[in-house]
Amino acid sequence: MTAPAAFAGLTALASPMQMGQLPDWTALAPVLILAVTGLVLLLIDSIDADTTNSALLAGVSTLGAAAALAATAWSLATGVGQDGGAITLFADALVVDGMSLFFTAIFTSVVVMVTIASYDYLRDHKHQGEFYSLVLFAASGMALMASANSLATVLVSLELASLPSYVLVAYLKENRGSVEAGLKYFLIGALSAAVFTFGISLVYAATGSLIFADIAEALSGGEFVGIAGLGVLMVAGGFAFKTASVPFHFWAPEAYEGAPAPVSAFLSSASKAAGFAVAFRVFVEAFPLATIPEGINWVLAFQILAVVTMTLGNFAAATQENVKRMLAYSSIGHAGYALIGLAALSAGGSANGNVLGASMAHLFVYGFMNTGAFLFIAMVERWGVGRTFEDYNGLATQAPVACVAMSVFMFSLAGLPPFGGFFSKYFLFFEAIENGFWWLAAIGALNSVLSLFYYSRVVRAMWFEDPSGSFELGSQPVGLYAAVMIAAVGTVLLLPGFPPVIETAQTVAGTLFA
Amino acid sequence: MVGAFDFVPAIVLLPFFSFLVALFLGKYMPKGGALAGITATAGSLLLSIWTVLTVAGFTGTATTYQQTLYTWAGGMEGTPLPYELTFGLLIDPLSSMMLLIVTLVAFLVHVFSLGYMNDEGETGLPRYYAGLGLFSASMLGFVVADNLLMAFMFFELVGLCSYLLIGFWFREEAPPSAAKKAFLVTRFGDYFFLIGVVAVFATFGTAAFAGDGSFPALAEAALAGEGGGDVNTLFGLDPQAWFTVVGLLVLGGVVGKSAQFPLHTWLPDAMEGPTPVSALIHAATMVAAGVYLVARMYGFYALTPTTLAIIAFVGGFTALFAATMGVVKREIKQVLAYSTISQYGYMMLALGSGGYIAATFHLMTHAFFKALLFLGAGSVIIAMHHNENMWDMGGLKDRMPTTYYTFLAGSLALAGIFPFSGFWSKDEVLYEALVHGLGGSPLLLAAWAMGLLAVFFTGFYTFRMVFLTFHGKPRTDTARNPHGVRWNVKGPLAVLAVLAVVAGFINMVPVAKLTGLEIEFLHDWLAHGPSGLTSEHYSELTHDYANYSVGTLVGGELGTALISGAVSLGLALAGAGLAYSLYNVPEPVEHTDRLGSAKDVLFNNYYQDEYQVWLANDVARGISRGADKFDQGVVDGVVNGISSVSLLSGSRVRRIQTGVVSNYAALLTLGLVALLVILGLQGGWFV
Repeated sequence: MTAPAAFAGLTALASPMQMGQLPDWTALAPVLILAVTGLVLLLIDSIDADTTNSALLAGVSTLGAAAALAATAWSLATGVGQDGGAITLFADALVVDGMSLFFTAIFTSVVVMVTIASYDYLRDHKHQGEFYSLVLFAASGMALMASANSLATVLVSLELASLPSYVLVAYLKENRGSVEAGLKYFLIGALSAAVFTFGISLVYAATGSLIFADIAEALSGGEFVGIAGLGVLMVAGGFAFKTASVPFHFWAPEAYEGAPAPVSAFLSSASKAAGFAVAFRVFVEAFPLATIPEGINWVLAFQILAVVTMTLGNFAAATQENVKRMLAYSSIGHAGYALIGLAALSAGGSANGNVLGASMAHLFVYGFMNTGAFLFIAMVERWGVGRTFEDYNGLATQAPVACVAMSVFMFSLAGLPPFGGFFSKYFLFFEAIENGFWWLAAIGALNSVLSLFYYSRVVRAMWFEDPSGSFELGSQPVGLYAAVMIAAVGTVLLLPGFPPVIETAQTVAGTLFA
Repeated sequence: MVGAFDFVPAIVLLPFFSFLVALFLGKYMPKGGALAGITATAGSLLLSIWTVLTVAGFTGTATTYQQTLYTWAGGMEGTPLPYELTFGLLIDPLSSMMLLIVTLVAFLVHVFSLGYMNDEGETGLPRYYAGLGLFSASMLGFVVADNLLMAFMFFELVGLCSYLLIGFWFREEAPPSAAKKAFLVTRFGDYFFLIGVVAVFATFGTAAFAGDGSFPALAEAALAGEGGGDVNTLFGLDPQAWFTVVGLLVLGGVVGKSAQFPLHTWLPDAMEGPTPVSALIHAATMVAAGVYLVARMYGFYALTPTTLAIIAFVGGFTALFAATMGVVKREIKQVLAYSTISQYGYMMLALGSGGYIAATFHLMTHAFFKALLFLGAGSVIIAMHHNENMWDMGGLKDRMPTTYYTFLAGSLALAGIFPFSGFWSKDEVLYEALVHGLGGSPLLLAAWAMGLLAVFFTGFYTFRMVFLTFHGKPRTDTARNPHGVRWNVKGPLAVLAVLAVVAGFINMVPVAKLTGLEIEFLHDWLAHGPSGLTSEHYSELTHDYANYSVGTLVGGELGTALISGAVSLGLALAGAGLAYSLYNVPEPVEHTDRLGSAKDVLFNNYYQDEYQVWLANDVARGISRGADKFDQGVVDGVVNGISSVSLLSGSRVRRIQTGVVSNYAALLTLGLVALLVILGLQGGWFV
């Protein structure tokens, strides 16, 4: 066999034509890998109850998440669910397409970073096996959310992601803040789930179906506009809870502050992205602007939500004294930016796919920079340095490398070049303008300017202020350092590496509108 | 096949590496990093020679090279940028010739620095050689740039390096101040250049120098009425007027860097830097950059007659104006500084009057003889223990013959005495201005007249300098017993002296016209190259768009050439003769009193510094005060207002977060209801 022929054979092996030979369910490989890893962790925990072998637990979780990430990346690269059209499973209850894979890539990347970081963070804690398995179950729930194609699966997967999250927030059960935050999160979550479920039932009442495509078709008939509208709005409320958008955001500052910092990172990056993933799909596929009756103007709802969320998040962040709480509010502000992806849509708008894709790309970059920022907080907590801005004074003299990374995250979150956050925000605003919503972009830009104020406070405290006391940083947490560095390198590399991300995101978003 | 062009990036990178080596390892190396610099520039020189030979066709067919190396913004699918920003190379006859000049002078300056800096026991040598390396690299990068933005970036690097090197002796009082002045004055011009670059992008969507899609080609097409819709003119101007504006904006940078009136004031002060640096700045790098830029985008300038006229007039005026200031200076380097301003004026005069070849020719000969004169002056300064006052010298001829004879060769070239190189190039500059002036552009005749008059002054100040320095009796003890110089000073002088004598022979236009021999090598050299970048194309453009045509005096072109040459030679000799009669005496005295009140004006450089300081101090400060008031009162007021409103509302927002879950549940429900009411009313759900 000659060399070219061998190459041709190899290419054929990897080509989607050959892929078609695999059974369809294998397209769910990332979700399955995550779920199986969670079960394996439970198994380890039941064999060796209350194991404190952090290396084993963190290693298995990281490996599982990395394998899921690899499977996702491979599927994205070979065009699973894209080249041959979306793959639907279980009577259309689930769908695997470019968008679900794109978001799964975000979740799994975040899980990799979080599990690496947890290795150090949890070292002296009990019940580690439960912690890791809950993270992985939540992650599989999120991945399912991105694949959900029916309101029933949306509800189930959303709860699968939420229930472990409540427990994770309350993981430090000796710590009052953690427990209180977990309870509040749970109560608000229960309320939101009630609203959400009620919304689903109203939609079902109006349309007689839970499958997205059927809902869209039924809605185009124009019957029961009032009932359907109520349902749509309440469904939006459920997603607003998951994405921590105003007024469903009340749980967020407390949960992010009280939870162990890796969990805050996980919730504010991955869980939020999952909320957006499912919201994007539901509103674009089930309630499409092109055919929905005019009376159901959900774009207006998202415009209000976006403006209020980013403004409130940024204003509240500006006055915080506690860095972790500031990040919590900044995370709410970023939810407002990402909401532009839905708020700047219009029926038949030429840039609909681009603006949605830009929002997805922003969530991707956000996954790295925000996770990194929270993991830096985790490292600071591990060192036993205080939580306020003053406590960070002069930290750079002690830990310059980590502080460089944190400065990268801060500037990237603020949207300054030359970091990944600059391009993602730039494209988001640019596409919003292209689609005719210059005022949304303008409000977003004004909020970004305000955000520079409080992000730069962290940088100023670390680099320019004199330390108020002496630091006893103790040991260097290897895992945390590694996770923070991965996030920092990711944030920096996403500047030159942004074109493929935005191209993928806009392509997969474009197919939703096709 | 691997050819010379594959190594062109190395020409730029080698000095850059020497910069890094000198900067980081210089203090561990013998000679403070000098050897790295010498090796690097020697390597660049060899590669440049190879490149020139390739362009000339000695290694096969004559060829040129244009290559985009790196696209650093735009050009990717799906990105909304309408244009690409790139780094690329453009090697054509002009740039390869310039490469040769720059690398040669840079190499010789490095060698000379061994004598001027190392042997004199200066400290901070790694910093010095790092600066030289970066300076050379920046200039070389500028020379090979294939688009205006890249050229601008390296142009700025050149400016930065000049700042670093002029201020090399930063512990003394004058050098840092001179460095700042050089930086700020050239920055003032570069500000317009930057706007010009943006304007070029906005107008053409590209800043490439060469090719069918380059901005000179697009401009030409627009003016010729083909595809005029491709260019966006601003402010409702027609293309011709708008191109003039763009050309003048870019010209701002040129005027600053090439020290043309009125932005020439930084250059005499820049003499505070080490003398080898002065040689590098004046002969091959910084000052040459401006003129080179005009030559590089000559296809654009040739389209706008107004710009050409301004270039010619500014050039002619600067040539005369600077030459008159040169006649009263006491310090040897000051004389040379004003001569540089004046000589670059000639180049601008040539460019403005359609003499692209003449300007390039003078750029080359000037590089050699001015580098020679500065290095010669450096040799004298070593000998005089860093006393630069010519009135303290005298009689050095017998004590340092190598320096004397090489310096004399350079002086003869500078003064434009037959048959030294400066004669040929200056003669061609004046000839071009004259014939195009006679051909129906009277403004050029005025510029020509100023240039011609400047020849007399040039002859005078040059030989005043030579006589005061080398002739007569020694006037001080130092001059009687000068410090010796070594091979590393004499070697570069000898090389440059040879070039200063013979470089003119490559383009003896009057001789060619007289004998009919094909010896106008530079004409042939610049006539080939990428289409649109040849001298022939440029002369078509100046003819078609600026209506430059050739007019003659008696005897046709030959007669005009001979008359022009004879007149300028006569004036140069007259100036030299006057200097001879006044200063070539055993004990010369100052004759400046005879100038009467003009003396004060000349000594004070026409009060140029004073008025610029007045502009900067009184006018600009007044405006700044007003702006400051506005800023403090209105802008800060608004900003502070906004921030206190933000913080206040931020703390209000904080108060919503009470920590009580039932409050949250209530607010959440109320928020949902509010949304519901808004959407319901708007969508008519309740009817």
